[in-house]
Amino acid sequence: MIVEIGHFALVLAFALSLVLSVAPLVGARMGDARLMGLAEPAALSILALVALSFAALTVAYVQSDFSVANVWENSHSAKPMLYKITGVWGNHEGSMLLWVLILAAFAALVALFGGNLPATLRANVLAVQGMIAAAFLLFVLASSNPFERINPPPIEGQDLNPILQDIGLAIHPPLLYLGYVGFSICFSFAVAALIEGRIDAAWARWVRPWTLAAWAALTGGIAMGSYWAYYELGWGGYWFWDPVENASFLPWLSGTALLHSAIVMEKRSALKIWTVLLAILTFSLSLLGTFLVRSGVLTSVHAFATDPTRGIFILMILIAFIGGSLALFALRASSLTAGGVFHPISREGGLVLNNLFLTTAAATVLVGTLWPLIVESVSGEKISVGAPFFNMTFGPLILPLLLAVPFGPLLAWKRGDLYAASQRLFVAFGLSLAIALATFFIVDRVSVLAALGIAVAFWLVFGALTDLALKAGIGKVSPSVALRRFIGLPRSVFGTSLAHAGLGLTTLGIVAVSALEVERMAVMHPGDAMEVAGYELRFDGMFPFEGPNFTEEQGRFTYLDRSGRERGEIVSSKRFYPARQMPTTEAGIASRGFSQLYVALGDRAPDGGIVVRAWWKPQVLFIWIGCVVMMLGGAISLLDRRLRVGAPAARRARPARPFVEPAE
Amino acid sequence: MLFWIVAAALTFGACLLLLAPLARGNANAADAQAHEIEVYKDQLLEIERDMARGLISASEAELARAEIGRKIIRLSDAQQTAGSTAPSRPLARWIGAAAILSLPLVSWGLYAATGSPFYPGQPLQARLERDPSQAFVDELIARAEAHLAANPNDARGWDVLAPIYLRLGRYSEAATAFANASRLDEPTAARLAGEGEALTAAANGQVTADALARFEAALALQPDDLPSRYFVALASDQAGNGEEAGRMWQEMREGLPQGSPWHGVIAAAMDGEDAAASGDDQAAMIENMVASLAARLEANPHDVDGWQQLIRSYMVLERPQDAQSALDRGRAAMGPASPEGGHLAAYGLSLGLEVEQ
Repeated sequence: MIVEIGHFALVLAFALSLVLSVAPLVGARMGDARLMGLAEPAALSILALVALSFAALTVAYVQSDFSVANVWENSHSAKPMLYKITGVWGNHEGSMLLWVLILAAFAALVALFGGNLPATLRANVLAVQGMIAAAFLLFVLASSNPFERINPPPIEGQDLNPILQDIGLAIHPPLLYLGYVGFSICFSFAVAALIEGRIDAAWARWVRPWTLAAWAALTGGIAMGSYWAYYELGWGGYWFWDPVENASFLPWLSGTALLHSAIVMEKRSALKIWTVLLAILTFSLSLLGTFLVRSGVLTSVHAFATDPTRGIFILMILIAFIGGSLALFALRASSLTAGGVFHPISREGGLVLNNLFLTTAAATVLVGTLWPLIVESVSGEKISVGAPFFNMTFGPLILPLLLAVPFGPLLAWKRGDLYAASQRLFVAFGLSLAIALATFFIVDRVSVLAALGIAVAFWLVFGALTDLALKAGIGKVSPSVALRRFIGLPRSVFGTSLAHAGLGLTTLGIVAVSALEVERMAVMHPGDAMEVAGYELRFDGMFPFEGPNFTEEQGRFTYLDRSGRERGEIVSSKRFYPARQMPTTEAGIASRGFSQLYVALGDRAPDGGIVVRAWWKPQVLFIWIGCVVMMLGGAISLLDRRLRVGAPAARRARPARPFVEPAE
Repeated sequence: MLFWIVAAALTFGACLLLLAPLARGNANAADAQAHEIEVYKDQLLEIERDMARGLISASEAELARAEIGRKIIRLSDAQQTAGSTAPSRPLARWIGAAAILSLPLVSWGLYAATGSPFYPGQPLQARLERDPSQAFVDELIARAEAHLAANPNDARGWDVLAPIYLRLGRYSEAATAFANASRLDEPTAARLAGEGEALTAAANGQVTADALARFEAALALQPDDLPSRYFVALASDQAGNGEEAGRMWQEMREGLPQGSPWHGVIAAAMDGEDAAASGDDQAAMIENMVASLAARLEANPHDVDGWQQLIRSYMVLERPQDAQSALDRGRAAMGPASPEGGHLAAYGLSLGLEVEQ
């Protein structure tokens, strides 16, 4: 029964989302507070119903109810409980339900905390959010219904794709979706502003927290996905420029641009039209990502099932929302008034530069991602655009941006002084250069590029710290005053510094791994040893192991340091999942500080040995630590008091009238 | 019944929630300008804070204050011209009513078309506890599995389950079940032959060395065991001794009683043996496929799976030099330092090819 209640709740949520997408919009147009007032209860009820529906599906998974087709296709009674629950969104139907759940949650948040928004804006925002919800609920109900039943029910399920049976599935998709879907709020705000035909500084202030939240979640989601791929695929790579990865990276790039242009708009009322366009584009790229991943045009671990009707359905949603919003933009953009003027060398100028680089980078990645699809649909020829293309185009584009980042926060609004900013950054510059020289002479004398890359990374970190030090007045005022000023700095200043420093840490990890990584490969027999970056890796043998729903061959290794002392054990294994007849690899990883020793097993060699690949990955953890620091920066910025504008004291509401009243 | 009550309650609740704002008066919320002025006031306070902290100079603060002040004045002018919210019109009320009415219509209509309201949930645990006489075959298997999981030393249980697994195509489980029965009780010809058959089926019909050992052991216990004799003959056919296999099948056929199902099986096997002689065409076809794969990779070299397939094909065709050169070209195309290049190198290493690091 609970399954059918979940199904019914989903259908009822769809009916409510239809109401939400029409009534408040009409109400705002007619200036009718009652119709606009429908928006909040509708948005909250949709969340409650979709949550009920999601809970019902989860119960079906936990109870192994194989009369639900979705559970039968993606679960197994012997699966550990954690994967029974995460398996709910480890498949197409369930993941779309999660998508809708998060969408509903964001709309409900606007309804709950939107008290400081003008009534018409709030009604319009919720109506647009309702339209998105209606489109995706219809998609779920019509072509990807997770509540379809089988009669008679099979006795055992087909199990979840083994690659997804990992703790990563509990974190990566929900975070990523929070990011993707979070940008829907910015989109709704942009479209609502276009519908009203007016936009002001206040608008940017209301949009910024949503952008920040979505951006922080997306950063975390991408980082988690990257770390997951790193340890699960056993290839030692953390980013493959795979189209699916790009699909998540695109909204991140344009979302980062949006985050920065919204600052200009809020502070100076400039860049209005551009900000609105970015808000539309960012969510459009999120939708495009959903389409690429879910339609089956790409084959990857993310494309759970390929069904052409789904692809066409999402494509229609894509065209309706992107086309509709851009058409509205074309109609109304000219009515938005231009804002304050500024000198090219100023904070605004710096933020515009940032936007130029980020959007160009996004365009490059977009071309590289879509080009193979276009070629294939025109000529039928299969080509792939690999890492070399992106390294050659994305790299040179992003490097000048990284160099420019520390200057931005030091420039004044309206008219800045580049020379003064450079002078203030002198210490940061000197320190970075010293570290580069030290790297070159002490760590590795071969690669000049590595030393320079590390200098760029530290330049970002020290630049971010310089900004904090200057704003606290360290060196200019007495230490106790400086400390007090430091503590009293606005949260957003800390947010900026942390995010920029995090970018530096990620850069450090990427540069160190790309330039200084050591890889060894050999066919090993028990008792063999190989040398990896000063460590001796001894192969102790292969041991069988029986998991709950898989069998495993564990390769056990001991690693010893230069002096011959044993430092620890590494277990790297090959698993086999009988229900899906699929093998997976589990890399063995030992962390030494921020560096890692990474061991992956290959195939059996004809002579009975096994292929072993081992990497020394110096400072690799900084790649993800940097992302976490960036996320933290976003979260702290979100706490800034500036983002909590109070609502004006409302005029006293008239006493409630009885429901039935004569027509006026 | 409970389902209908819950569904009705959900619908009713949603309608009530939407009715609440409609029933309320058309109270005017503070209008947009008031909200905007609130933001500007906040910005003014922020300038004060920034100045107090020394983040901006007094002259900068003055300029910023003036800019915000101008915006507030512009707003207040606009406010005087704009009227306040219009009173509720009858049309709005009709729209509100239609909105609420649409909830039960859309939800019950759609659900009636797509749902299965009379089909109760089927949690696995509850199904396994139900009366077995109403169960389906696979449910019975699941019961037997649960029984054996609790009593893994019950040889008879494995005897029952093993042939069922074999019939259902769960070959590796069938082999394990036969082996368990042999281990727990004693190896009989039937158990050994069954295990051999399961192993053969699991290997897509190839009589592996393991399977052959089982059949031979079965024949040692019972020299006239038909399945074992059949598969031993098949093994020698697959090993290339077609004549010997034909002789063994012929011998077997002569000893068969009238109407035995083995007549058909042996006839089919002997037909297949004759057909296998024309294997040359097949070899040519494989060569062609490998050549076209190589050509495709030449045109579009960024394809790890393709290279892996090509290297494997060359090894199967016993052309290790070609495999080596395909490996080298593939690694060069991927970039020897890239993750894909490394993956390819590890693959080559496992086939005994050379990889320079």
